[in-house]
Amino acid sequence: MSAVVLEVNGVARNFGGVVALRDVSFSVREGEVMGLIGPNGAGKSTLFEIISGNLRPTAGRISYFGKDCTTMASHLRRRAGMCRTFQKVRLFESMTVRQNISVAASQCVQPGRDVQEEVAAILAQLRLEAQSERRPSELTLADRKRVEIGRAIAGYCRLLMLDESMSGLTHDEAQHLIEEILTLNRSRGITVIVVEHVLSVLAAMVKRLVVLHNATVVADGTPTEVAHDPVVIEAYLGTKQKALR
Amino acid sequence: MEAAVSDQAAGNATSPATNAASAHRRAFAYGLIAFALVACLPLLPVNNYILAATVRALIFISLGQAWNVVAGIGGLLSLGHGVFLGLGCYTTGILFNKYGIPPWFGVWGGVVLSLLVALVMGSMTLRMRGVFFALATVAASLAMVQISRHFVDLTGGADGLALKFFGNSLWAAQSRTPAPFLYAALAFVTAYYWITRWILNSKFGLEMQAVRDDEVAAAAAGVAVFRTKMLGLLVSAAMTALAAGLYMQFYMAIDPEAAFGLSQAIQLQLPALIGGLGTAWGPIIGGAIMIFLSEVTNWGGTKVGISGLDIFVYGLMLLAVVLYAPKGVVGTLLRNTVKGSGR
Repeated sequence: MSAVVLEVNGVARNFGGVVALRDVSFSVREGEVMGLIGPNGAGKSTLFEIISGNLRPTAGRISYFGKDCTTMASHLRRRAGMCRTFQKVRLFESMTVRQNISVAASQCVQPGRDVQEEVAAILAQLRLEAQSERRPSELTLADRKRVEIGRAIAGYCRLLMLDESMSGLTHDEAQHLIEEILTLNRSRGITVIVVEHVLSVLAAMVKRLVVLHNATVVADGTPTEVAHDPVVIEAYLGTKQKALR
Repeated sequence: MEAAVSDQAAGNATSPATNAASAHRRAFAYGLIAFALVACLPLLPVNNYILAATVRALIFISLGQAWNVVAGIGGLLSLGHGVFLGLGCYTTGILFNKYGIPPWFGVWGGVVLSLLVALVMGSMTLRMRGVFFALATVAASLAMVQISRHFVDLTGGADGLALKFFGNSLWAAQSRTPAPFLYAALAFVTAYYWITRWILNSKFGLEMQAVRDDEVAAAAAGVAVFRTKMLGLLVSAAMTALAAGLYMQFYMAIDPEAAFGLSQAIQLQLPALIGGLGTAWGPIIGGAIMIFLSEVTNWGGTKVGISGLDIFVYGLMLLAVVLYAPKGVVGTLLRNTVKGSGR
């Protein structure tokens, strides 16, 4: 059985009197592609920020390969291989595509591996070579998202967390991006967590879905199981009328 | 087929990298010519006023370059960089006047003191986001004005501190003519230009620019945000204090307003703001423009009997840059070519 990459154990987070997360627990195994889904306000983004180190949980703990990283700084998590993208793409706008990727590669590259080689490999893998000397403002949204993924995996990446990476993309662009993410999963052995609020986007991509609703986990299973779960159907549609597709 | 067409198009068009390299070569050639002209100035039949104005320009270019490191490359808006200028000037002056330590050594005392103040200021403010750092630098400036006024025996109080004059003396780093200072200031400008270029092209420079662009994304790329900001501040503080040694030797005096005042703080920022923030050439071009306009307006002001016209012009320049050329002269002229590494 493959190792547990990430373990979220009893995580809670309050903002004043508002409960954003309540006793959230799940784990992700090495090589898995897992979807984290939930309607707006379910707590996905808060959980994402806690896992990536930008927020501290009020209670609970986060373990990465069995080690407690609840209080670890976000840049140290990244260097340890916990990588992320952002809901609204956040690139270094004054830098070229190559420099964007170089920043991360130079921080996280493995001993014995050349930074420029690593950058070149990522540019090639994500088909960004032609845009390597351009600035983010000159790129399409799909390319900007690919650059962000490139920056996220540069150097060393064991766990890639994607925050609504398909939003704003056309159907074809989303399909291409999904294929590229799955290729990264297979070729680099990167474990992937994809956060989305549209179930249909994830169904084709993941074998397992965790559903957040009202600040807690309400379902955990295959996309088919989740789509027929009455609690999930109610969370999305407000009634128990039909299974989601 | 599509790939072939794309390759052909790429072959016909000049790439941004090629444009940038070509612009760098041109800028470097112009820079060499300007360097040679300035270096030859004392050999030409020009009066001391022109030489002194050139030294002033070169000193403010150096100070502007130092501010550019923290604000232009690092994105930390230091509104009170006069703190480091003042510490450099006062320390050099006090060590010389009171203890006979020549400025060649005394200036390093100013550098150490500036580093300590930067360390304390940075430790307290650099973990916060937003305007706290900028406010802290203003508060530090205001505090230094009061401190320098209070310790009259040491600093000369509100009247300021004047260096004991030894005439032409290498030991005291003093001269009756501006020519030696011109060469010293030129050395500073050259060294600071190369330091800025080195920073821009280094891993550290990339980290600083990443933090400037987006702190959260920088941390997500593995950059130690606090450490990067702190290092940037320390480098800038040290550069400012070192150039302050030359400032003190050239002007021979310093007072609280000239060191820590708002007007001085603006003068430290203008070279980079006018020339182009975060670029190596920006402060050089901006500093030259600033001192040229300042001298012209001072001359004009004297003719019509209005003093302090240069401060008014600084304000106008700042306004013009903010409204019409936020990227400065370099950024505006070479927007599509000289960007990224090696600016």
